[in-house]
This record gives sequence, structure tokens and C-alpha cells, in this order.
Amino acid sequence: MTKSQPEAVVELSIPSRPEYVGVARLAILGVASRMRFSYDEVEDIRLAVGEACTTVLDRLEGGTDASPIRIRCLIEASRLLVEVTDNIPMPVRTTPPTADLNLADESQLGSVLIRILMDDVATEDDPQSGTHTIRMVKYVAR
Amino acid sequence: MNLRVETRTPREGVAVVGLSGEVDVYTSPRVKQEIVDLLNQGATRLVIDVSKVEYLDSTGLGVLIGGLKRAREHDGDLRLICDNPRILRIFEITGLTKIFDIHRTEAEALDGLK
Repeated sequence: MTKSQPEAVVELSIPSRPEYVGVARLAILGVASRMRFSYDEVEDIRLAVGEACTTVLDRLEGGTDASPIRIRCLIEASRLLVEVTDNIPMPVRTTPPTADLNLADESQLGSVLIRILMDDVATEDDPQSGTHTIRMVKYVAR
Repeated sequence: MNLRVETRTPREGVAVVGLSGEVDVYTSPRVKQEIVDLLNQGATRLVIDVSKVEYLDSTGLGVLIGGLKRAREHDGDLRLICDNPRILRIFEITGLTKIFDIHRTEAEALDGLK
């Protein structure tokens, strides 16, 4: 993902609690609606950002964490870049992934959706600051 | 209220659960609880109407998948009603149309449900 100067930056910080994911979705809906995206594309972005927040909450496994989820939207002429950052530790997985081939693996659905809905997706873990970031891009159709 | 859950039992052992609003990480535990309660009460053939759902995320999909698994463990079934293109698209892109029996109308969903 190349760096370019954003026209505007919208930042939001929400508590790491399920009831606030809807707030992030409303905000991203507002941001994306201001750009030249189709109705379906706006919906895709809303779902992808909601999923990114939900993946963070999944790591809490029902617990609560004082550290917030930060959503940063970089609005550019040709694209929208959204970064969802948290510093909630990655859990140590003790159970192996499901071998049930008949039914989908629910735990992966969120990340699968993000990759389908957005044009570019990258994740970054910074061991020094303990932050995890999902960076997602949706391009404006020419 | 972000989510409304309305359940009817058109005949013994069969329940139709109408969902309207948002099914997400916040509200989906209620849907899960409703499904679990119905199965425990003996309603093992479930029809979940998601036509009026405005927003469905992976948590909601997970609850429906879990419901289908549980219903089958009870020798039952879980079918969906959906005529909403936006919601149908989520099932399509995740490949879940292969797992779920999705109908356009309640009559169609109830048809053949023993």
C-alpha cells in the first residue's frame, strides 16, 4: 500500500465492548457515504470495519479490557484507508482448529469477510508497543 | 433496541423466529439463547426469518451455524427465510448458501419440515 497525502483524517476511539461496535459502524458509514462509493460498497466497508472491531473483541473472549479500539480513516481522492488498532494481547491457543469439514469454521468468518469485502488488507503486529493493526483499503471506482 | 426477536410456534416442535434489526457481536448472544431455549423446549425444527435483518456480521452467522449444528444433534433442522439481497449476499460470499437451506417465504420454509 503506497503512501499518499490524505484529504482528511477521521479518528475514533471506542471502548473494547460489544455495544460500541455499532458506534464505529455508524461513524464509518458517515465517512464512506461522503465519498464516491456505491451503496453496496459503503455497506461492504461498514461490515468490514465492524468485523475488524469484532475480531479484536473475540480476543477478549467475553472479558473486558480497559484499552480502547482506535479507528483511523484516511480519506483520499481515489481510496479510503481504514486502520483498526488495539493493544489487547493475542491469546495463546490451546485448542487445535476444528476438523469439521461439513460446517464452516465460524472463528475464521470475520477475517474471511474482511478480505472479500475490501480491496487490500494487511495486518501488522508491533511487539514493542504491543499493538495490532488491521489496515484495509477500498478503492473508489473510476 | 437494536434487535427484535419474535417467536411463533405454528405447530408442535416447530418454531419460527423472526429477527429484525442488527445481529452483531452485541446482539447475537440473544439469538443464540433463543435457539438454545427453543431446542431445550422441544422445538427442534427451527425456521429463522432474517429478511428484516439490516445488519448481519460473522458473529450472527456463527450463531446460525451453531444453531444448525445443535438442531441436527436434536434430530431437527434449522432453515432460513431471506428475501433481502444484501443479507443473501453475505451468505453467498461466505459460501454458507451451501450449508443453509434458504427459502424466500415462510410457507416454502415450512413446507416439508416434518
